[in-house]
Amino acid sequence: MRHDFYLAWRHLRHHRIRTLILVLCLSLIGALPLGLHRMLEAGEYWMTRRAEATPLLVGARGSSVDLTLGALYFSEAGVPTIRMQEADRVTATGWADGLPLYARHRVQGQPLVGVTLDYFDFRGLAPAQGELPAILGDCVLGAEAAEHLGLGPGDTLASSSENAFDLAGTYPLKLHVTGVLAKAHSPDDNAVFVDLHTAWVIEGLGHGHVDPQAAPTLTESPFGPVAARGADMGLLTYTEITPENLASFHFHGDPATYPISAVIALPHDTRAATLLRGRYLDEKSETEIVRPLDVTRSLLQNVFRVGALFDGILLLVGAIALFLVALVFSLSLRLRQREIETIYLLGCARLTVARLLFAEILLIGLFAAAVCAAVLAAAAPYASDLARHFILS
Amino acid sequence: MPILRVLSVVFTLLAASASGAGAIGESRLKIMASNYPLAYFAERLAGPWATVTLPVPVDVDPAYWQPDVKAVGTMQKADLILLNGADYEKWLVHVALPRLKRVDTSAGFRDRLIRIENAVVHSHGPAGQHSHEGIAFTTWLDFDQAAQQADAVAKALIARRPELKTAVLEALKALQAGLADLDGELKRITSARPGLPLLASHPVYQYLARRYGLNLKTVHWEPGEMPPATEWTGLDKTLAQHPAKTMLWEAQPSPAVSDKLSTKGVTSVVFDPCANRPASGDFLAIMKQNIENLKTPFQR
Repeated sequence: MRHDFYLAWRHLRHHRIRTLILVLCLSLIGALPLGLHRMLEAGEYWMTRRAEATPLLVGARGSSVDLTLGALYFSEAGVPTIRMQEADRVTATGWADGLPLYARHRVQGQPLVGVTLDYFDFRGLAPAQGELPAILGDCVLGAEAAEHLGLGPGDTLASSSENAFDLAGTYPLKLHVTGVLAKAHSPDDNAVFVDLHTAWVIEGLGHGHVDPQAAPTLTESPFGPVAARGADMGLLTYTEITPENLASFHFHGDPATYPISAVIALPHDTRAATLLRGRYLDEKSETEIVRPLDVTRSLLQNVFRVGALFDGILLLVGAIALFLVALVFSLSLRLRQREIETIYLLGCARLTVARLLFAEILLIGLFAAAVCAAVLAAAAPYASDLARHFILS
Repeated sequence: MPILRVLSVVFTLLAASASGAGAIGESRLKIMASNYPLAYFAERLAGPWATVTLPVPVDVDPAYWQPDVKAVGTMQKADLILLNGADYEKWLVHVALPRLKRVDTSAGFRDRLIRIENAVVHSHGPAGQHSHEGIAFTTWLDFDQAAQQADAVAKALIARRPELKTAVLEALKALQAGLADLDGELKRITSARPGLPLLASHPVYQYLARRYGLNLKTVHWEPGEMPPATEWTGLDKTLAQHPAKTMLWEAQPSPAVSDKLSTKGVTSVVFDPCANRPASGDFLAIMKQNIENLKTPFQR
């Protein structure tokens, strides 16, 4: 048997190109469905874990999927905002604690998430370096966001201007990085977190004032001289909040009407959760309450349906590929007719030829399995990222 | 044998009390209060089960205090952050604090808060003119409201530590009794001469005036500063319409100011709002002294 494998190995080495093509074909046939399943499993685990940790979500009535993806994974799908009073409403019931969250903006490609400090306790997020935000204009970075942006405590980061064509819009705000969070292996790793009030300053709902003498001099516009009232001369929307100008920052209107994207509701017990859900049964209400786990499971069911379709297609492709491999072998037998006759002339039985062929197939199979395992091992660390990209983007 | 039993029981009790004291020491609630009245209420209600901190320096009025990063960091680590509400903590929008640890002690009577008239009007670009509405914030000078604030502190303590419910409620009962005594005493004094014209050196007595029916006109004077001539002229005009013989001060005014007021027939009386920790005595003692000071004009 050892000799069979030796001869098979020498033959495969002699026909390197053919062997390599066969090994690659077979390894890909194996790696594709296995990789897909691994990606789906990673996605399922990753999404389910996040959803299980978030009991209930309150947001604008409409797409519960968008609401869940926006609040849990900070996806770019824009969801309508709700008012801050919804968080108070949840807490006022006495059945749950409401954690407001505002995840509408992005900063240099990373989600900019406005939260209260309770969010960090709730998610078990703690700074690996530096501190949590303390004053207006502070931000703390998720581990991957810090790596991606190349920033750490003491650095600054400019928020993206949302209103490039809005002449009355706000300037980007220079955020002060106070810390970097420890890796949580969750979407929080990619986020830039600010206090809700800072998010509202970025939104343009809060601003500071300067001494009119310190206000910038107005240049003449192409349409003639610019006229400004005294009060307007003293108004400046800051691009940076410093200890010197911090006290001048203020907000107008009722903070209860300020925008948030969702409220994470943390019921005190199962009964409280049921009672709270009952408060949102009115179809005419502007807000709805969802269980992220239910939404995620229904989303995953759709993903798995697509996965099953892929499985079917891959099975068909795999069968065709195997037929082609069989064809290659049968054709190679014809090409090796003289070689086989020589084996008979040397006194070998017909079974010897069969054994030689079996050894070749086994060796090719083993090589293909090794390559397949190597590909899967190399792709394993990216399974969650790929799942995030394909399922959530 | 009975002696051994007694000794074993004694040792068991001693061990239990020692471990209990250790547990209290380890799990003491960290409470931050934004002014002294709230700190006092928390100290009275939580007793040995909490460490109450008033982060405001003693020489600063908590209403105009702005916490620095260090103070915010300390507050973030607290188990409970007691806020006066009523627009008292203007710094609240400038800092990041856990929302679930904050307790707005005046939320229970939010609908009865006094809005300050003649708020400053200004404009912000195209948004047009609008005003920054102010709210009177010395809520605790209405002792009934102070009792409600104490109740809010008690509820927050019980929510954090349900096992302390009995002790906290007992302490609340005693504290509210003390506040009710002050309330009754002040009502009795002020009812002797209803409508008696009074002056106040600063607009901090709105709730005191409302609860106890004081006929109060207010100026904007500081105890340590001699008001300019225009203020004295204004005072003369006020006195012509409102013949007050007493002016309430947050602290003892300078002798120069006090003497000048005396020439106009106005006596200075201290009614300390006690927003920050006093050098001696406590909240109830200071308020008793305030009431004592107020007796004179009403008994004349």
